[in-house]
Amino acid sequence: MKISIVTPFGKIFEGEIKEATFPGVEGEFGVLEGHAPLITNLKPGVITLKKTNGKEEVIAVNWGYVEVTPDHINVLADGAVPVVGSSESEIAQAIEKAKQLIRDASDSDALVATVTSKIESAARNL
Amino acid sequence: MATLKELKTKINSVKNTQKTTRAMKLVSTAKLKRAEEALLLSREYAKKIEEVTSEISSKLSSVKESINLRAFAKIDEVKKVDLIVVTADKGLCGGFNHQTIKTTLKKIEELKAKNIKIRLIVVGKKAIEYFKFAEIEMYDAIEGLTSAPNYEKAAELINKSYNDFVNEEIDNIIIIYNGYVNKLTQKIHVKELLPIEVKEEVNTNEFLEVEPTDDYESVLESLVKKYIEYIMYYTLLDSLAGEHSARMQAMDAATNNAQEMVHQLTLQFNKARQEAVTRELIEIVTAMEAMKKK
Repeated sequence: MKISIVTPFGKIFEGEIKEATFPGVEGEFGVLEGHAPLITNLKPGVITLKKTNGKEEVIAVNWGYVEVTPDHINVLADGAVPVVGSSESEIAQAIEKAKQLIRDASDSDALVATVTSKIESAARNL
Repeated sequence: MATLKELKTKINSVKNTQKTTRAMKLVSTAKLKRAEEALLLSREYAKKIEEVTSEISSKLSSVKESINLRAFAKIDEVKKVDLIVVTADKGLCGGFNHQTIKTTLKKIEELKAKNIKIRLIVVGKKAIEYFKFAEIEMYDAIEGLTSAPNYEKAAELINKSYNDFVNEEIDNIIIIYNGYVNKLTQKIHVKELLPIEVKEEVNTNEFLEVEPTDDYESVLESLVKKYIEYIMYYTLLDSLAGEHSARMQAMDAATNNAQEMVHQLTLQFNKARQEAVTRELIEIVTAMEAMKKK
């Protein structure tokens, strides 16, 4: 299924994926192909994308809005930081930026801690 | 006839002006490139958010009887509106700012004729200066935002108006600005933001799940808010790109004019010099002739 993640500062991700997990306001949820149409808001957290080649990509968002249809997903986010990079220093930088984004967006320490640990564990798998 | 020295100073001063205008043109070209890039990047989001908003509102209107949000309600009698005018903070960009101001004045007349009250919100130093001079009352005046568009500040500005709209203090928000079309043209936009039109969709039986369950309004409300914030931000970006392209053009024209002027002045200078030479020659010859006769 197709997914596109856009912010006011440009397109973050667009492409074919197998599975996506979102931090919805009412809890985390996963989307596979053929999902029933759904719209919901996102809270600060991470979007995990499983790409068609089996690799995972993690994107931190501070606020978002998701529209799911059976064959595509639209995500509108205020700020989004993909945790990717070709070298270790780049990845470290991305992690720092992602953490900052979440910290700015959320006032709950518990949430920040959970999300931060998720970002770090995802980064380890890169 | 101006003396040689005077002409020389004049030529030099025009040449200096030309240097400045040429530099300003180059600066604007560079800045335009950056502004253009930002604009292109955000166009993607603009497209998506418009698409999603219209899709969802039409879906919801088919699932539910009516949408209980003022942003979608039809307002029968418009009594008061917010008029947001966006111009540049700086001048020297041709008619860029004045066009916007002129359109605003026309719009004000138009609204007044319909007996609609106006709250004028002015963004950009040039328009603020104008309205102050013309003694037109401003509800709010913001400087420094157009030269450095900032999402948070744009959101703050428009949210004030939007909240008043929700609380039924005003009935519409109108944005007037001069936007970027391409490097040579700018276009005046007059945007009426509200109410948001709901498109009737053909396939009405589609199932749609909304989370939090059965709370369409809160989901839609946050989206509408984003939509409006975003339009404001986009306006600033568009205006900035327009400003730079207008300035680029104006400075290019100024440089060319200066070139033309230098040419004319040089001709005059040469003529004057030739005249002086001829006069001196005549003087010498006459003196010689006078001496010969003796």
